[in-house]
Amino acid sequence: MSFRHWVGIGVVGLSLGLMGNSAMAEVVAVVSSRSTVMTLSRSQVADLFLGRARRFPDGIVALPIDQGEGSAARDEFYLRFAAKSPAQLKAHWSKIIFTGRGQPPLAISNTVELKRRIAANPAAIGYLDRTQLDASVREIR
Amino acid sequence: MRDRRPAIMIAVLWVLAAPCSSAGEQAAPMFSLSGFGTLGVVHSSEQRADFGSSIFVPKGAGHTRQWSPEVDSRLGAQVIGNFTSRFSATVQVIAEQRHDGKYLPHAEWANIKYQVTPEFSVRFGRTALASFLVSDFRKVAYANPWVRPPGEVYRLVPVFSSDGLDANYKSQLGDFAHTLQGSYGQTDATYPNGARAKGRNQWVISDTVEYGPGTLRVAYQEAHVSIDTLHALFNTFRQFGVQGIALADRYDTNDKKVTFIGVGGMYDPGDWFVMAEWGNVNFRSVIGERTAWYVGGGYRIRTLTPYLTYARTKADSNTSDPGLTLVGLPPQLAGPAAGLNAALNGILGALPVQQAIATGGRWDFMKNVALKLQYDRIDLGAGSAGVLGNVQPGFQPGGTVHLLSATIDFVW
Repeated sequence: MSFRHWVGIGVVGLSLGLMGNSAMAEVVAVVSSRSTVMTLSRSQVADLFLGRARRFPDGIVALPIDQGEGSAARDEFYLRFAAKSPAQLKAHWSKIIFTGRGQPPLAISNTVELKRRIAANPAAIGYLDRTQLDASVREIR
Repeated sequence: MRDRRPAIMIAVLWVLAAPCSSAGEQAAPMFSLSGFGTLGVVHSSEQRADFGSSIFVPKGAGHTRQWSPEVDSRLGAQVIGNFTSRFSATVQVIAEQRHDGKYLPHAEWANIKYQVTPEFSVRFGRTALASFLVSDFRKVAYANPWVRPPGEVYRLVPVFSSDGLDANYKSQLGDFAHTLQGSYGQTDATYPNGARAKGRNQWVISDTVEYGPGTLRVAYQEAHVSIDTLHALFNTFRQFGVQGIALADRYDTNDKKVTFIGVGGMYDPGDWFVMAEWGNVNFRSVIGERTAWYVGGGYRIRTLTPYLTYARTKADSNTSDPGLTLVGLPPQLAGPAAGLNAALNGILGALPVQQAIATGGRWDFMKNVALKLQYDRIDLGAGSAGVLGNVQPGFQPGGTVHLLSATIDFVW
């Protein structure tokens, strides 16, 4: 699959998205290609990023890594996986931070660096635009 | 002197945190500083009593001021220090109206947390007293849909924090996220009239289950509560023979076991939400037994969230008592005895009975800031002043009170 091919899918996906059809996946959850995690439900992914769950189903402690606040990929990820708008996400973490129960995942704005960090750590989990996937990371379905 | 130790901790943490700015989220910082606040005004149609934020504040909307900024306004700041991956400390300082009407900041929480395993943590110090579904963050109005949590339920347990130990255990069973929490400690509080309340041997156990957009929570709480001025009143009752002693034993507030049970649930799939809570508190004293509940929901249309809540609180124990028998008492004792009876019935009659509808809207008009407008219609129970305080001569119990509130809530 060529890069151009993926861009093509991306453009189609984006236009479908603009038409109100969000079924077309743009942002996908990813782990290192060295990770043993193969599948996770959307709610399992959301639980890791919302601080509700700490471990993958096989018992390994997960390290969720966010994209920077305000990034389109982040907003789409939380909308699709957790049904939360940026304001709802902020409210969610306000509840946890201001009771000292936890802190949001580490965030990395640079997606190249983000991908490198996920690839390097089998326990990491993140999300990327599908067009940014390569052999170092694997999509979680 | 309960605030001295937290104050020292705050000072230390602030000095340590000073070099950090509002710590970007790019890396896990040693210290992170964040905050929240509300600027609000409330108007009450009842001018012979105050609608206040709790029983521990002297001023509110209505009598003190028609439009009061003192009910919902507050500022909070929090420093979290991550010393190692397992060891952290949290200090949260809030400036809001206190029992003396002043706004001196106090330590809402100040605790040290040790993460024993990713699922199990213990905290030592001042932590939230987690009686209700949103009691941990009831003061962070930005995190809540409404201007303030329904007072009918949230005033059942009027204290917010506990000094002691707290343990938290999370587990995952399929898609069910499960949190078991227990705490043991004590709380002191001061009433506007100077009376002091003490909660000792205070423990709470709660269990929260989250499944996708659904949350269900059950909590049980116990404490031995003493209120000094009321205890003095009942010591006077004890001067009046067998009957006085019996009344004192029944109503005294010295080291009485208080129990609370609360059940709450929420369903929030994103575009809308519903939530409901039920609670029962029994003070086993003159403060009586009460049950309250609310149901509410809202709908999110882009940045607008209109919401509606219905709430009720009722007294399960008697709100009056014949008191000491005056017949047969010598005149020099009948007078004081009548006074004691009046005092007893004044307290029993203050048990809040009311129902209320609150409706309003939240507008997330900019990042990290929300504007809320809310209208409350409170129907006071017959003979009751409901949750109103600072009741003035000429107040007519059992009426209807209209509140109008506007707030700006923010986090940073």
